[in-house]
Amino acid sequence: MRTKTVKLFILVCLVTLLAGCASPAQVPSPTQATSSTAIPAAASTPSGNKQPIKLTLGAYTTPREAYKELIPIFEQQWKQQTGQDVTFEESYLGSGAQSRAIVEGFEADIAALSLEADISRIQDAKLITNDWHQLPHNGMVSDSVVAFAVRPGNPKGIKDWADLAKPGVNILTPNVKTSGGAMWNILALYGAAKRGFVEGVPKDDEAAAQAFLLSVLKNVSVMDKGARESITNFEKGVGDVAITYENEVLVGKQGGAKYDLVIPRSTILIENPVAVVDAYADKHGTRAAAEAFVNFLFTPQAQQIFAKYGLRSPDPEVAKSTASSFPKVEDLFMIDYFGGWKKATPDIFGDNGVYTKTIAQLQGGSN
Amino acid sequence: MSLASLDQERRKREGGESIPWGRWGMRGIALSYLFVLLIIPLVVIFQDGLSQGLGGLWHQVTLPIAWASLKLTLWTSAVMTLINSVMGTMTAYVLVRYNFPGKSVLNSIIDLPLAIPTLVTGVMLVILFGPQEALGAWAQRTLGLSIIFAPPGIILALLFITFPFVVRAVQPVLLSLDRAQEDAAATLGASAWPIFRRVTLPPLVLPLMTGALLSFARAIGEFGAIVIVAGNIPFKSQTAAVYVLGEVESENRLGASAVSIVMIAIAFGLIIVVDLLQARRNQGVA
Repeated sequence: MRTKTVKLFILVCLVTLLAGCASPAQVPSPTQATSSTAIPAAASTPSGNKQPIKLTLGAYTTPREAYKELIPIFEQQWKQQTGQDVTFEESYLGSGAQSRAIVEGFEADIAALSLEADISRIQDAKLITNDWHQLPHNGMVSDSVVAFAVRPGNPKGIKDWADLAKPGVNILTPNVKTSGGAMWNILALYGAAKRGFVEGVPKDDEAAAQAFLLSVLKNVSVMDKGARESITNFEKGVGDVAITYENEVLVGKQGGAKYDLVIPRSTILIENPVAVVDAYADKHGTRAAAEAFVNFLFTPQAQQIFAKYGLRSPDPEVAKSTASSFPKVEDLFMIDYFGGWKKATPDIFGDNGVYTKTIAQLQGGSN
Repeated sequence: MSLASLDQERRKREGGESIPWGRWGMRGIALSYLFVLLIIPLVVIFQDGLSQGLGGLWHQVTLPIAWASLKLTLWTSAVMTLINSVMGTMTAYVLVRYNFPGKSVLNSIIDLPLAIPTLVTGVMLVILFGPQEALGAWAQRTLGLSIIFAPPGIILALLFITFPFVVRAVQPVLLSLDRAQEDAAATLGASAWPIFRRVTLPPLVLPLMTGALLSFARAIGEFGAIVIVAGNIPFKSQTAAVYVLGEVESENRLGASAVSIVMIAIAFGLIIVVDLLQARRNQGVA
């Protein structure tokens, strides 16, 4: 009898575990759990309505510190302008996971994600119906570039992409299956090689660029779930170099982490979109406040705060005034170089994509 | 109420004069509970995995990366099971046969891995054996062995998580053994090892196998600790559960479900074997 019970218990454990593995997007994160129980704000018109409302922000992980500073400022401004109290529920997840959570019913009023493809997914689900590209700067609220974090003093002499392929270099980069940041990393690496910025790889030679990608991938020792986990592992002392967002390195250094920032000669411009999620904002009756918050993010004041937390500003004025914090990149290219996300996703990461084919060559390689 | 009237009452209930709601109600609740909680999710996974037929499932499972992740999962779990069988039996033996200070505390600690979030287990192991930590650095330097972000780390994590399984399977049987046989063997001049091997061990084989198979079944689905301690590099250190996560996150539900089905099938097969072993043991006792 006892053993039967134990056995049943274990069976239950197993099945829940396996089931859990199959759908982690449905496991609510602590922040989501609290927000899902949040009472929807009164659905009446916000103007003249002094009832407090709640906005839910579904964001990717790296701008967390910036939003911690931005949100109180907006709450105060909104109170002054309308007399209404607004509070925020914030959820920070990997960009792809956040996007899927929103599609599957995490009712965020505002989506602030790492890459356009993740906003497109929400659009495809008909939850975002507004033309968010009409926002300033095409809807891109912050920029960054793919950069390296290296050990203090750069003992391995890592200056550019080519150095990552040297034997004995231990690299961290997240898993492209789970991390938007990882996709930016691969695009930057492959793009730089294809554009002729890696010694020994001729410009526009796809085969050589792919071979270079393979030689770098062979040096990767850990692929974490997301950009934040990856840099945390690097901070713990794993690896010689972490490929990551420039702003992750800058924020880490602000927080006292001891590593150096290296910007390769050629790298990709990361553009982070933001959009009001129409379906949920309308359901909650929070559209006015949600739109005001998104507009607020594009003001010079907010842009300065993003810059303070290591994000490059798409606003030319702010960019000029903060230029000293952000090293100039010799060859900065955009996702358009790969024909935009709609084309880059299948071409690079699809079943027959460059990355997918390259990673398959790891088999029988080292180890 | 007297015994006789109770009896009458029962006969009335079993006589089918009225529908026995109480009995069927309880069965109904228990079965629906089982159905909603276990069967339906399983059906959904199978439906997903088989949405393109057996061929589609096979194709997903034999994709080189998926196949490599399954192989890694199985061989690390197998190594863990071997170590766990030997050490678990030894631990149970020590706990049952010897007295030492702190024994009862130790006995309670054994179940703790069941209560520790496996993610925390992973973090602890990285802190202990990571390449930058004293122990991990020592292993790397003197043995040339990477522990964390490599298969040995996976095995360590699995050992930690499944620690109670063999101990708790063997311990009660060991406790119930009649020591007279061992004493008799000793009187006849047998030394310690033959006594253990010929007298003590045989009745332990079935419970040992039960514990070992359960720990194996538990290990193949492990995710939380593995995602932290293994480097998660395809072909090198990516286990099946971590592979499944990647496929879910990149919207390949077919691939995720297909590999899950293989994992479920193996676990389920093992649990059936455990069932048979237990039936045999119960027969042996009766």
